[in-house]
Amino acid sequence: MIEAINISKSYRRGNVVTDVLKGVSFRVRKGEFVAIMGPSGSGKSTLLNVLGLLDSPDGGSYLLDGVDYSETDDETRSAARSRLIGFVFQQFHLLDRATALRNVTLPLLYAEVSRDGTARAERALEAVGLTHRKHYLPSELSGGEQQRVAIARALINDPPLILADEATGNLDATSGAEVLDIFRNLVRGGRTVVLITHDKNVADHADRILGFSDGRIAGNDLGMRGRDTSTRTAAPGP
Amino acid sequence: MSRSQRIARDVFTSLLANKQRAFLMMLGVAAGVAVLTAVIAIGQGTRERVMELVQVHNLDMIMVRAGGEVQIFAPQADRGLAALTEPDARAIEAEISDIGKVSVVQAQRGINLVYQDRSAATRVFGVDSGFSEIRYRPVSQGEFITDADVVSMARVAVLGDKVAKALFPEGDAVGKVIRVENDPYTVKGVFREIGQTANGEEDQDDRLVIPFSTSSRRLLNRPYLEQIIINVPDLDNIPEVAERIRTLLKSRHAIGAGEADDFFVREPDDVVDAAMQTPATLFALMAAVSIVALIAGGLVIMNLMLIAIAQRSKEIGLRRALGARASDISRQFLLESVFIALAGGVVGVVLGLAAAMGLDAAGLAVSRITWLPIAVGFLACMAVGIVFGVQPARKAAHIDPATTLRGRAA
Repeated sequence: MIEAINISKSYRRGNVVTDVLKGVSFRVRKGEFVAIMGPSGSGKSTLLNVLGLLDSPDGGSYLLDGVDYSETDDETRSAARSRLIGFVFQQFHLLDRATALRNVTLPLLYAEVSRDGTARAERALEAVGLTHRKHYLPSELSGGEQQRVAIARALINDPPLILADEATGNLDATSGAEVLDIFRNLVRGGRTVVLITHDKNVADHADRILGFSDGRIAGNDLGMRGRDTSTRTAAPGP
Repeated sequence: MSRSQRIARDVFTSLLANKQRAFLMMLGVAAGVAVLTAVIAIGQGTRERVMELVQVHNLDMIMVRAGGEVQIFAPQADRGLAALTEPDARAIEAEISDIGKVSVVQAQRGINLVYQDRSAATRVFGVDSGFSEIRYRPVSQGEFITDADVVSMARVAVLGDKVAKALFPEGDAVGKVIRVENDPYTVKGVFREIGQTANGEEDQDDRLVIPFSTSSRRLLNRPYLEQIIINVPDLDNIPEVAERIRTLLKSRHAIGAGEADDFFVREPDDVVDAAMQTPATLFALMAAVSIVALIAGGLVIMNLMLIAIAQRSKEIGLRRALGARASDISRQFLLESVFIALAGGVVGVVLGLAAAMGLDAAGLAVSRITWLPIAVGFLACMAVGIVFGVQPARKAAHIDPATTLRGRAA
């Protein structure tokens, strides 16, 4: 599903050039549940942006579903984001003044094909157990419910890949566990889930952990191991 | 639905969900458009009123009369009246700039008309084809004398309303042949009824108009004229044009310095000139004010949009993550500003027209509601929406989704 080969990325601020990604290489196969774990400031955001096709790498190649997106234009990357990737964020990023239903339909705006939004959104909300909250505004929902709305939104275009960025970081233990359960179910349904986190307890829910520090993948070079069940014995969510 | 339609609908839904913000952004444009619409409606009304005055009083015409200034109250006197000729008129036409049509006028009272058993005596005018337009004397039936009639010395006539009624009580004058001093003339047209002149001295419906060539060579047998009338389209030019005509005629008539003129150049009364100047200045001022108001309204939109974009950077990042292209974001914000400006335009046009009609009803202004103020109001608000929406839209499109989505401080 994901193939990152020697990805590099640096930022220039004034005359200071900071190398953020210093040759990142790893693979994630279809249907895998992988956590990328690293401390704050290790370059996780930048990596997420590259993986999520929000930014292009300066060097190396990035293949998603077999297609190289390292040097594509905004339109191609936007279309691929819409079709292939569902994002789940730490801060949910729901539109405050839109109901759960409208939030869930938002990605359909940018989809290549026109789809019947309401029916799909209702199914997506049902999948995360929020049918009864579809007309609520985000401010009327608990954190866990908001994140489930966000997951429904990520699923509405039926993408093969879910990129979750500290998705449980703002949730209590119970809600966090619910969200991780949903991810596990998505993996069972054949989707690929990549969790980005600094939290070992969260990362332990994944099948495989890629350690990330100082702009490099550490501890797991190309990640070609199979499902590593030993990491699943760890404690439940944060 | 196409992608653009979906985005447009989403913008609309978002605006409805943020009515208060949309309302505030709209106000500035509404105020500007309201003033602009009202100014144009009142400008139109005033312009029409002025045009009416110009036509009724023939304020855009210079008249050259035969005879010096002393004779103007005695136009029938013989002395000096043979001085004005057709070549004078042609010279004015050829040499004076800033003028419209020119017509010679030869006039004679006591001309006898006969049609079957009816008869009338009236005043005849021999004129050029431009006469009807210069004097704002349209025909109500048939048509006016043409250049061809003048060239061919045609025996054709246009009747004043009163003459037509005297000879043709049935109203079927056009095409009939009447006798003018015993010669047959075909009736070409009938003038629209005018009524008495302002000073009531002459019945303008009691006349017969024929081609100048016919009057000078067939009917009256004299070359000299009573008047030359000259249209001056731009009223501001009248004094200067009059002066140029004086200079030209003095030279043509070889009148030396200190000698009395054998003609008199009469300019229109300057009464309405002043009446027109005042509103013109006022409108220029009000139009300027409304444009300033529109620009201010546009700046309000732009600044509120820029603030909103800073506040909504996460939303922008999110939309990008969900598949929006940079161009979709830019379209979203441009549509937002255009929608707001259009809403402001609707409110502004309605308020502006209401104000114009209110002032009219109160007798404080003359206004005229046409498509013009409405069209200008909408065009202005569209322009404001686009001009002041482009920069925020561009800025929104350039927001880096990467930096906005991962606010570390939760």
